[in-house]
Amino acid sequence: MRRAAAVWAGKATGALSRISRLGGGTTLPGDVARAIDPDVLRKLSRDLKHGAVVITGTNGKTTTARLIGWLLEGAGYSVVSNRAGANLIFGATAAALERAGADGKLKVDWGVFEIDEASLERAVDEIQPRAAIVLNLFRDQLDRYGELEAIAKRIEAALRRLPDSSRAILNADDPRVAEIGMNLEQPPLWFGLDDPSVAMSGLPHAADARTCPRCGASLVFDAVYVGHDGVYRCPNGDFARPAPDLAATHIDLKGFESLAMGVSGVRIELPLGGLYNCYNALAAFAAGVTLGLDSAFIADRFRTFRAAFGRQERLDAKGRGLNLVLSKNPAGFNETLRTAVDLAGGKNFLIGLNDKKADGTDVSWIWDVDFERLRGRAQVVVPAGNRAHDLAVRLKYAGVSAAPPERDPARALDGLIEATPEGETAHLLCTYTAMLDLRAELVRRGWAKPYWDT
Amino acid sequence: MARKTFTVGWLYPDLMNIYGDRGNILTLLKRAEWRGFDARLVELERGTTHGIEDVDVFFFGGGQDREQALVYEDLLDSKQPLLERAVAGGAGVLAVCGGYQLLGHYYLTADGDRFPGIGLIDVRTEAGKRRFIGDVVVDTDMADLHPQTLVGFENHSGRTYLGPKARPLGRVRMGFGNNGEDHTEGCLQGAILGTYLHGSLLPKNPHLADHLIRSALERRGIKDLAPLDDAAEIAAHQQILARAHRG
Repeated sequence: MRRAAAVWAGKATGALSRISRLGGGTTLPGDVARAIDPDVLRKLSRDLKHGAVVITGTNGKTTTARLIGWLLEGAGYSVVSNRAGANLIFGATAAALERAGADGKLKVDWGVFEIDEASLERAVDEIQPRAAIVLNLFRDQLDRYGELEAIAKRIEAALRRLPDSSRAILNADDPRVAEIGMNLEQPPLWFGLDDPSVAMSGLPHAADARTCPRCGASLVFDAVYVGHDGVYRCPNGDFARPAPDLAATHIDLKGFESLAMGVSGVRIELPLGGLYNCYNALAAFAAGVTLGLDSAFIADRFRTFRAAFGRQERLDAKGRGLNLVLSKNPAGFNETLRTAVDLAGGKNFLIGLNDKKADGTDVSWIWDVDFERLRGRAQVVVPAGNRAHDLAVRLKYAGVSAAPPERDPARALDGLIEATPEGETAHLLCTYTAMLDLRAELVRRGWAKPYWDT
Repeated sequence: MARKTFTVGWLYPDLMNIYGDRGNILTLLKRAEWRGFDARLVELERGTTHGIEDVDVFFFGGGQDREQALVYEDLLDSKQPLLERAVAGGAGVLAVCGGYQLLGHYYLTADGDRFPGIGLIDVRTEAGKRRFIGDVVVDTDMADLHPQTLVGFENHSGRTYLGPKARPLGRVRMGFGNNGEDHTEGCLQGAILGTYLHGSLLPKNPHLADHLIRSALERRGIKDLAPLDDAAEIAAHQQILARAHRG
């Protein structure tokens, strides 16, 4: 009875929240239902016919979750997932509630939940997933999450609580994630990239986790793919990247348009750009195989994938293409810049930086982003967001000539469109709430749909 | 004639760099470069002291506990005597957060363990329960700073107390500062400047960057720095001040 009451109260809150346009109704219903029945997610998760997958890590959670959902739906299963980045336990609860029936029961085959790094322990306990994916661990919002080390320890504790029948799927290329995996009793399924042709020449400025956990020596990188993810080893032989069970080879990147790679004898092609998405695709592939999907089917299904909100979302504005790319921490930003400038040949940019709670109130990380990449190559750079002035200083010291900082999203957008030649694409790289602000303006102008419809 | 050089020494750039510390390095280098200096960076990783004698201004940033423990031994064994000699010769030091704590007498953990620092500055630090996180505005009385405010972001659980040889960098108008009790923030002792402010500190406080550059160059008989256009930096500085006023 308590569960049914919780489900109904949650559902009513979700409906009200959407009607009143407060937002997508993505987490508030979870708060309400959990207040009535704290075990509501545990009970709903038990209803799932085949089980659930949880995805965590600093970057790529939403895209990976969406890819896994796409695979399962393509195989004819019904899937419940927390979309739109609502990745705290309340978001997962809200998603389950929305799909529960009038009897308070969830009649769905699979759950696919992206889970914030700090919420993973609770999520594992309540959801009892069949597979848990850890994508990477980069520095992110130190004011909110604290140090990487503390996060890593919590993730390890969560993975230790996985049921015996479930599998940890881990990124072998991330030294801190690998350390977690080596400490587990059950061997994880390791994934990683194996293609030196797409490696960078050295570690970027914001590299973390680059010392040996056993002897403290600085790790030697034979290849660097994204941030501090690559092929590494301790010079004293105390620690090395685990050999991937699933390795991506023969990687081919085409701007923001697509990526292709070979995995386990099949050729994957995905309409998403950037090397970072190779990791997301590989993790989703690993999950698909773990959950029993056929690798040829996965490859086929990937070809028709569509990106999530603000993640390589493409719009048209007065004859200019707009490419919206969420960029929220140094590792993520460096990758989206690299993709936009080096792979897509982008020339027109709006960089949006907000310092609200969801973005992180400390903006010092912009100094770890290699904005120098834009120097001499970008023709338009509009610094936007409520910390546009900090961005303007960052760009000045990077030697990038930029437009004056513009905190107002509407005026920033006007400035961008005016300066971008017709027929060209502008790349909008923004932190989370800066993206929400810009998207709200795009919706007002009829250029984009509200995010809960996409 | 060869161009005059200006050299920044970054202590442990691979391990002590978590709060966008590269911003401080870039600001020092660019502001020297824009004035015609040949600006150079010496990276002082573990196991190397190469080029340390050329350094005009040292930077020592913050790290995670795990990394801080790794640099500790190297600091004591190899860098300390050379750092002391450089400071005695007039080189400047900017130490932020973890670097600030390590230059003091000791860090006392919550369990009562005492980790000695290198004692270059007369400060001591004790672990606190609550973490101090947020924007900071400091009023300073340093004579050559205009405006007389410093802005930044703090994120620390250490409580730092100043001894008689160190004087505070200023008083907090907003934020917690050294210890959340006496309203002081940072310390000045000779040419060493310690602080909890990052954000990064120097990009939004170009006057403080110039203070560090000017102080270090004085020993070479260079007294005046050519003025630069700081409109963008000061606009970012003013934004934080305006927020502090709004509360």
